[in-house]
Amino acid sequence: MNDNSVLGAVRDSLTAAKGTLTETHMSTPVDAIVRRGRAARRRRRLIGLTGTAAVAASAALVVGLTGVTGSAPTNRRGTIQTMAFTLVSNPNGTATLTINNAALLDPTTLQNDLAQDGVPAMVTSGSFCFSDPAPTGFSHVVSFYPATAGNHVLPPGEHPHPTVTFHPAAMPAGTELSFGVFQPSSGPQQTAFALINSSSYRCTSTPPSGASGDGGALFQTWPSARDLQVHRPR
Amino acid sequence: MEFAEFYESARDDCLRIVLLNVGDRQLAEDLVAEGFAKAWVSWRKLRSYEAPRAWVVRAALNANVSRWRRHRHEVVLDGHDVPAPADDGDALSGELMAALRGLPLRQREVVTLRLLLDLDTETTARLLGIAPGTVGVHLHRAAETLRSALPHPADQEARK
Repeated sequence: MNDNSVLGAVRDSLTAAKGTLTETHMSTPVDAIVRRGRAARRRRRLIGLTGTAAVAASAALVVGLTGVTGSAPTNRRGTIQTMAFTLVSNPNGTATLTINNAALLDPTTLQNDLAQDGVPAMVTSGSFCFSDPAPTGFSHVVSFYPATAGNHVLPPGEHPHPTVTFHPAAMPAGTELSFGVFQPSSGPQQTAFALINSSSYRCTSTPPSGASGDGGALFQTWPSARDLQVHRPR
Repeated sequence: MEFAEFYESARDDCLRIVLLNVGDRQLAEDLVAEGFAKAWVSWRKLRSYEAPRAWVVRAALNANVSRWRRHRHEVVLDGHDVPAPADDGDALSGELMAALRGLPLRQREVVTLRLLLDLDTETTARLLGIAPGTVGVHLHRAAETLRSALPHPADQEARK
């Protein structure tokens, strides 16, 4: 018997054996799988954070041992600062994001940094993901400063550094944030926020014209005057 | 395709394939659940893969090896830690099944992906991160081992 004959016979035997298992069914519900996945993701993040802390501790030790007395670090503890945004990890478990709309935002960097702050988010550029129907609870998860209600337009220059605060503890199980940044050739930079079901969502390259229900908000920033318009859910 | 839809369509098939590989119903269910949980974590990437079902099966088989590594130093007591008797009849017993389970992981992965999931050589190679030629080498070595475990044609005739 050559290899092909052997493998053909093995295939037949295995297929026949599998065919007799028609009464064998997976009994684990999909919810249990999703819970297990979320737990695995949390563990992975924790390991990542521990690793980062270990590297930081090693670096501090090296600096101490070599006696280097350079300038103070640019970032204070709990703050990540890039050209495009500043992300502050607050003692109460929330994270506050300030976007510098004069710089281009790197979605991957922001997504990773939010993950380090315990905010599961999908940050995209030129597209936006959403669930239909959207999970409830968005207004408990995301808050804006200045606080707005309904459709609201702030006068130009009044709040040059609008911020967004995330409350990861308020996120319902099985959800994450969607964070889509659009930079049209003219007009304001638009950032759409939504709460989505991690296992069920769709993505679009069309900027949303507004958000509905308790599912999200549209955040518009003007690169020059730094105006802010926040269209709250209707 | 959404994850829940994928899970619904693929879960029984993945379970049966992993069950053939490990021979223990409860263990197979747990390994497949772990494979699907990993798939959920990576679903954004995985949803565009050509063979997400094969990805789950492979994750489950790898999880079995990781589990064995974690527990290999544990003391086995008489009558404990023995796979639960299969209630799936002859499908899980026999020389061929024993020989399949005795193959090294990579050979078993190649046999499972090529013969049970019907993937072609190139897709198998991409999924395993190896060269297509290496897939052929593993398949050849597996065939060498499994050849002697195949039921003899005369035995099969006698059973009919």
